[in-house]
Amino acid sequence: MRAMLAIARNTLREALRDRVLYLFLGFAVLMLVSSKIFGLLTVGDEGKVIKDLGLAGVQFFSMLIAVMMSVLLVSREVDGRTVYNILAKPVRRWQFLLGKYLGLLATVALNLTLMALVLVTMVRLYSGEWDMGLLFASAMILLEMALVTAFATLFAVLTRPMLGTVFTLAVYIIGHVAENIWLLTQQITVGVTKPIVAAIYYLLPNLERFNFKTEVVHDLSIPHAEIGVTVVYGLAYTALVLVLACVRFSHKDLT
Amino acid sequence: MRRPLAVAAVVITLLAVVVTCEVILHNAPEADPLGKRLLYLPSPDVLRLASLGNDGLVADLLYLWSIQYYSQFDFREKFLYLDTVFNLITDLDPRYFDAYRIGAMIMSVQKHGDPELHKKAIVRLYDKGIDAMPDDWEIAEWAAWDAYLVLQDTDQAVKWMGIAAERPDAPGVLKRLYGRWRDNIHGWTAEDSIAHWEDVLAEAETKSETNLATSHIYDSYVSLHRSTLDPMLQGFSQVARRCPESWQELVDEGWLASVPVDYLGNPYGVDPNTCTLVAHKKIRWD
Repeated sequence: MRAMLAIARNTLREALRDRVLYLFLGFAVLMLVSSKIFGLLTVGDEGKVIKDLGLAGVQFFSMLIAVMMSVLLVSREVDGRTVYNILAKPVRRWQFLLGKYLGLLATVALNLTLMALVLVTMVRLYSGEWDMGLLFASAMILLEMALVTAFATLFAVLTRPMLGTVFTLAVYIIGHVAENIWLLTQQITVGVTKPIVAAIYYLLPNLERFNFKTEVVHDLSIPHAEIGVTVVYGLAYTALVLVLACVRFSHKDLT
Repeated sequence: MRRPLAVAAVVITLLAVVVTCEVILHNAPEADPLGKRLLYLPSPDVLRLASLGNDGLVADLLYLWSIQYYSQFDFREKFLYLDTVFNLITDLDPRYFDAYRIGAMIMSVQKHGDPELHKKAIVRLYDKGIDAMPDDWEIAEWAAWDAYLVLQDTDQAVKWMGIAAERPDAPGVLKRLYGRWRDNIHGWTAEDSIAHWEDVLAEAETKSETNLATSHIYDSYVSLHRSTLDPMLQGFSQVARRCPESWQELVDEGWLASVPVDYLGNPYGVDPNTCTLVAHKKIRWD
């Protein structure tokens, strides 16, 4: 555990030294601040536009940071041969990978928290109220990013960085349109295709489950049970992907 | 020294070319470029898919775009794809209050085309919003005022105000307004009116609210009583060949068991000119 946390700390430190991160963060904060300009263009409730744009910005830039940084971190260690130094110590491969993952997740969480606080402050400046719902929606985005980062980690050990990025982006897109696969099962009436398509639907990550933006923007109530099941779903899926990544990394030829 | 100057000259020249090209392209005449783009506007399902979970944001962008677009039109011009655009926005975000409100307003200002069709589109848009937000009274109230003031359709206004008044957390004023409007159009029976205003009376918190409800109940009872007492007066005058001076005469002649009284317990009078019931409503408003 100690070794894993040490790797996580180092990964976070390394990520924070990366200029690309600050470039993303800079763009994100700029977008959040400029949401006020979009708000000015509207007729009616400016707050809705600021919240919609802000939450979309938080999600998009968190995804970019998660995808771009995750696939690079493992390959950097392998290409730079620093992985041998670490694995020569009493550190298991899965510990190394989970440490890397946790470090990455901490990086994403740190950035996401910063963006969420900027958004909440923007809304406070506009409406005079602290909208804590935005923090809840951001927490759910973080849960989504935990899963996306897990996929990025899996693809990082499976393939080359470029392909890993493409695959993770594909998972992100599929995860957001997975709901439509269910609609497909409604169209199929006979044969084995229907259960096969249904199985695909249940197996694919459904990232829309973490989307509470509409509820937060319109101040709708969300059943606690739904939140609970969503959290369990996110954590379980993330754990599953990480187990697969650890198994693959344990047998990976690093030479 | 020469080289940096040459580089600067090249940069400035290229910048000038770029800006000139942009000025030329910007000023090139284009026949309704936005309208052409609107023609190929994707369906809400496609836009929802493409938004990757940000339906609300896409609705916002379309809404902002529509405001800019339709503000370019003269009232007498045809507002292209107006119905389609606001349907699309509200399909993407069914709880977008401003989209219903402003969409209906834009639909109402256009002078081109058949006003009945515009009215139908407005009613459709508001009905959609009212259905999409079953816990919201504001959209129904807004629709009611628009129907009352803009569409000048009192029946529709009364219907929407009734919906607004029934919604959770609706302020009491909506219930009173609904009762007044419905009384004005004689849109219900006296019994229904009494039942409604008795509800209002039970919830009244101020003297003026109590008086308003009492006044409406009073009027409804008068119209209810009038429907039975006026024919009695007519019957008496046909038999006696004159109008009775008071209700006591009808009691004395066995037409009535007692002198009829109004909601507040005061006896009714008889108008000798028209031979009809007269009510003397006495409510202290101060």
